[in-house]
Amino acid sequence: MSERKGIGEGGKTLKQMMEENERLYRETGCYAGITEPYLLKEDPVKSELFHSRIMASLMAGRETTRMISASPFVREVAELCLGFYTADGASIAQSTGIQAHIMPMGECIQWMIKQNYEQDVGINEGDLFIANDPVIAGMHPADVYDMLPIFWEGELVGWVCTVIMEMDIGAVSPGCMPTANAERGSDGLRFCCEKWGANDLLRRDFELKIELSLDMADMFLLNRKGAIAANIRVREEVKNIIREFGLDYYKRATRELIEEERRNQLARVRQRTVPGRYRDVVPVELNMAKQPISWLPANQDTIRLIPIQTDILPSGRLVLDFEGTGEWGWHPFNGTPTGLRGCFSTVLTQTISYDGRSNLGTLLACEIKEPAVDSLLNPSEIKRLATADPWAAIFDLFGLWQSMLGIAYYLRGFREETFNWRSGAGWQMAGYDALGTKRPLLAAETGAFGPGATGVGDGCDCGGWIATQLVDMGNAEVWELFVPQLEMTRRFEPYSTGYGKFRSGVALASVMMLHRITQTVASGAIGTASDGIIPNLGQFGGYPGGKRNTLLVRYDNLQELIENRQPLLHELGHPAEWKDRIQGQVTNMGLIPPPIPVYDGDVLVTDTTSAGGLGDPIEREPRRIKADLDEGFATDWMARNIYCVDVIFNEMTEEWQIDEAATSKLREAKRKERLSRGVPVEQWWQKSRQRLMDRNLDGKILEMYQSSMRLSEAFTQEFKDFWALPDDFNL
Amino acid sequence: MPYSKEDLRDLYDGRLPWHKTFEIMSKPKDDDRFDKYVEILQERVPWLERILLPLGEHLYVVDKAGERIVKCDCGHEFGDWRQNWKLNALIFARDDTEKLEEIYPGLKCPDPNLCEVREFYCPGCGSLLKVEAVPVGYPIIFDALPDLDSFYREWLGRPLPDEKEFRDMTYQVTREWGRDIA
Repeated sequence: MSERKGIGEGGKTLKQMMEENERLYRETGCYAGITEPYLLKEDPVKSELFHSRIMASLMAGRETTRMISASPFVREVAELCLGFYTADGASIAQSTGIQAHIMPMGECIQWMIKQNYEQDVGINEGDLFIANDPVIAGMHPADVYDMLPIFWEGELVGWVCTVIMEMDIGAVSPGCMPTANAERGSDGLRFCCEKWGANDLLRRDFELKIELSLDMADMFLLNRKGAIAANIRVREEVKNIIREFGLDYYKRATRELIEEERRNQLARVRQRTVPGRYRDVVPVELNMAKQPISWLPANQDTIRLIPIQTDILPSGRLVLDFEGTGEWGWHPFNGTPTGLRGCFSTVLTQTISYDGRSNLGTLLACEIKEPAVDSLLNPSEIKRLATADPWAAIFDLFGLWQSMLGIAYYLRGFREETFNWRSGAGWQMAGYDALGTKRPLLAAETGAFGPGATGVGDGCDCGGWIATQLVDMGNAEVWELFVPQLEMTRRFEPYSTGYGKFRSGVALASVMMLHRITQTVASGAIGTASDGIIPNLGQFGGYPGGKRNTLLVRYDNLQELIENRQPLLHELGHPAEWKDRIQGQVTNMGLIPPPIPVYDGDVLVTDTTSAGGLGDPIEREPRRIKADLDEGFATDWMARNIYCVDVIFNEMTEEWQIDEAATSKLREAKRKERLSRGVPVEQWWQKSRQRLMDRNLDGKILEMYQSSMRLSEAFTQEFKDFWALPDDFNL
Repeated sequence: MPYSKEDLRDLYDGRLPWHKTFEIMSKPKDDDRFDKYVEILQERVPWLERILLPLGEHLYVVDKAGERIVKCDCGHEFGDWRQNWKLNALIFARDDTEKLEEIYPGLKCPDPNLCEVREFYCPGCGSLLKVEAVPVGYPIIFDALPDLDSFYREWLGRPLPDEKEFRDMTYQVTREWGRDIA
């Protein structure tokens, strides 16, 4: 029997193409075996035009989706992204947006190829495929991938994929990324690279399934139509490009774009960093004890360590190693190797490979060592687990990883590139909206995050989040139409700051009063796993921002305040005093609030905190402190206690004034105080070691170390080496 | 594109106008940056040892008579660059609510049962060199161990004399401390 002709290049199957490319990469170290790229160099103007046409089509596709979709996540926030791939799933180019999905979408294509879709399912012009299962590839089920093959004269020559974040995926209440879940079924609908349409049209039975399964079926289906339109638009433009440039040029140039980017990434690292070993650690707090989950093994609070080592090799290769990571658990916060690759890719794209050329080549110049099986980043039980919130650990991980790259930049002199990120957590709900429809009620907040200071200035206020370049979350008025809440503030919170010679960006608190709700439940929505342990984001003497909080405020006198036109809560103020201003009940709900009923007039507060400051705060220039005081970005408490600056408010001119002579004295006194209360590290080490020997640690901390030691001999050995613990000692 | 030393000085001091800072951020990076960077820093320190690599706001790896040591700009020396300099600093550990609330009042205060905020000071000048926020009991982090010889030999194309083995020597110090206890 003759072998069936494949749909790939020259009659090969896609599987043959993929295996051949992998072999060529193994043998040559160059993508697709391109050891001597020439085409793009021969005519740079032509190659630039070629790439620009692809990028323009992706960006136009992205905007097309926003015009069709009804979801505010797409229209307001642009929580989507488009990727363009080779026939065998290698990323060539990407639009702006939630770029963490670019690599996972390519991995979905490769998964279909490995599963023999070409023969067993069929891949034809106009076929529509859908995926959102992180077990295959991806981040979490709310992010849905639409994938469309591109054919040219019967040959599959590429793919275009669109990812959109859904407000409703049919998950257990509350929310689209529920925290009170542990098992796969509670995640809602999972699509495993299913063919859900043909000839560019959705199948009717698929539409019916969605209409029966989701509270927000209309949003979901309009998002699919937006994604289909975007994909078709890109597909047709790619055909135009092939017509114009020729098929041979197209094939060679798309591959050279990947190999060129691989080489450029290595060159960028060699130009901007210093080779060596960089280390840090991310503690991940997973508070599940109070969550109402029937799978009882899930009901426990745990902390897990993710130690990070980044080796910058003399070749320019970045190697990430998470040796010592603790164990997975029954919660929706476990990570996966595919999630790591996705998030690593978006960090690289935003910070070092930001010239619009980032693609698979960026990652080929790097290596993520496979995390230990059964660690938090590689659970063997992943198929059985809920995967709604891997972001919590992974955002923290790569927000801090950016610090490590930032140190390498700093050492080389590119201090302007040094910074880091911090993510946050907040509220999500389920219930009846203002129009009487039951559904998840997840709102996005205005880009509330304060990224870290750079090595040359303060961080951008309210200006950066790891997941996307687009931190403008759109119009509050539009969100208020979709979620029954009134947004109460747009004020910067000075106490969110990570202090330093250069301070972090200042964050916004989110304060939302519920309005016209019925039968509504609220719980946490988390993009961080930092609670009682603040992240290690201070750089070169700067402090990390403090603890973040999720708060519920219930006024006793709400009607009275409104009737008397008295101010409601619209800023937090001093973190030790703000509660005194409220007549009523204030509850700190912890990192992951368990589901609770909420009512009209309840105020949900997300007290977001910023990343890290850089440099010794007492070296901050007084002029910067005055400017912050005048703008409301700092307080006199901070000026005196953190920055050691003597300030007084001039009532006449309504501005702050600094007494420079008194400031010098305050700063000199602070140095003396440090020298007096600082102790030699050996002295501290002996006391801390004895505490370990006595096992005089919080139970969760002890279990955290035990968990890492169960999985890693290397971690155990280094821990014992540092503390000079006996070989036979066990925590 | 190369930049003048004056512009780079202002950049590092946070005094360069934003439009110029932004230009430096967004344009292709300048290949001569490192040499100008080290020249600027060398002019600012009061001592004569050659700076091999800046390590932070106050710290440098310097060549001192053929040894590569970490040195503060005040002159205090921390030892071989392959040993974590923090072990030779002063430490103030914020390990209870009172000490933590000096920086993080009220809601902002981490949980002292879980978290320790360690401040490392230069014993010479009292500068705050690093703040480390970690779980209680976590070993002091060796943030950056630069591969100096590979850097100079392979990236800058001018090898350093007397190449040294690239390895972490921190545990030599802690083992010695352990022996003192025994």
